[in-house]
Amino acid sequence: MEYKLRKAEPKDVPDILRLVKELAKYEEMENQVTLTEQDLLEDGFGDTPFYHCVIAELQPQSSDGLEVVGFAMYYFTYDPWVGKQLYLEDFFITQEYRGLGIGSHIMRHLSDLAMKTRCSGMMFVVAENNESSIQFYKRRGAEDLSQEEGWRLYRFDKESLVKMASAREE
Amino acid sequence: MDYKIRAARKEDCKDIARMIMELAVFEKMPDQVKISYKELERDGFCQNPFFECLIAEVSDAHRSKCGHTVVGYALYFYTYSTWKGRTVYLEDLYVMPEFRGNGIGKSLMSKVAKIAAEKQCVRLQLSVLDWNSPARDFYAAKGAQDLTDSEGWHFIRFDGLSLDNLVKEAPQD
Repeated sequence: MEYKLRKAEPKDVPDILRLVKELAKYEEMENQVTLTEQDLLEDGFGDTPFYHCVIAELQPQSSDGLEVVGFAMYYFTYDPWVGKQLYLEDFFITQEYRGLGIGSHIMRHLSDLAMKTRCSGMMFVVAENNESSIQFYKRRGAEDLSQEEGWRLYRFDKESLVKMASAREE
Repeated sequence: MDYKIRAARKEDCKDIARMIMELAVFEKMPDQVKISYKELERDGFCQNPFFECLIAEVSDAHRSKCGHTVVGYALYFYTYSTWKGRTVYLEDLYVMPEFRGNGIGKSLMSKVAKIAAEKQCVRLQLSVLDWNSPARDFYAAKGAQDLTDSEGWHFIRFDGLSLDNLVKEAPQD
C-alpha cells in the first residue's frame, strides 16, 4: 500500500474535519466537535496559523483518486524551563489503514521536525482509558507527567472566560 | 497597593527569568530550568513569538526587599482544539510572595482572559500540580474544571533520549 506524508493544504480541510470527527467518535465524544470547515480554513491557513497539519494520503491504485487516511495536527508551545516544544494536538489513522506503519512514520516525521525546529520535547495529552495509545507511546519511551510529576489539566470554558475577562480590576 | 499590569518588553526578560526560577523552586523542580533570559528574549520577541507575557509592576516606593519593581507575570500562548477552535494556554502565573493578597494574581488572570476573548479564543487551559491546593482552589473558584479528574487526561512528553530514538527508528507495533 503506497502512501505519502505531506503538509496539509487548504483543499484538505474537509478531510481534516472528517478525520477529526472520526477521532472524536473513537474517544466517545463525537458530539463535542463544533468546529467547522470555515474555522479550520481561517485558523490554519490565514496570516497567523493557530495550527499545522500533516496528512497521510494513499497513492492511487486505480482511477478512484487519492484518499486521505490519517493526519496529525500540531503547534508550537513554550516551556519556560526548556524552551520550545512541539505539541501534538490530534493524531489519527482511519481504522482500516492501521498496522501498516503509517502512525510510526508520522511520529518519526514529527520528532524529526521537532529537532529541526529546536524543540526540546514533544508533548500531548492522552486519556487514561486509551490503553492502546498509552502503550504505543510508552513503547517509544514517553513519560507520563501526570503520573510521574502530578500535573493535572485544567480548563476554563467560554462562559468562565468571559466572566474573568469582565471582572472588575481589584 | 498600586500596581500596573502591562505587556512585557524585551528588557523585562531578566526579571521574567528570575521569577520563572522562583516559581520552579516553589514547584520543587529548580534543576529542571535550563534556559536563561537570552532564550526568552529570542523566543518571545522575534517576528513570530512563541509566547506572550504580561507583567505586574509596582512603583519604586513599593519595590521588593531585593529592590525589584516587576513582581508578577503571566506567560501564555495560543493553542488549538480540533473540537472547539482557538484556545489560550496559560503556561505560568506567578506573584512574588511578599506581594500576594493585593489582587495581582486575579488581575493578571482577568487580563489574560480579556486578551483571549479579543482573539476569539473559546477556552483557556493550564496545568497545575496535584499538591498545589492554593492554586487548584484559586482556579476552581473561577470556574475551571479539572479535566484530569473528570475525563482522565494525562500529560505525556518525549524529550532527550526518547525524542532522539523516535527520530532514528520506529519499533514494529
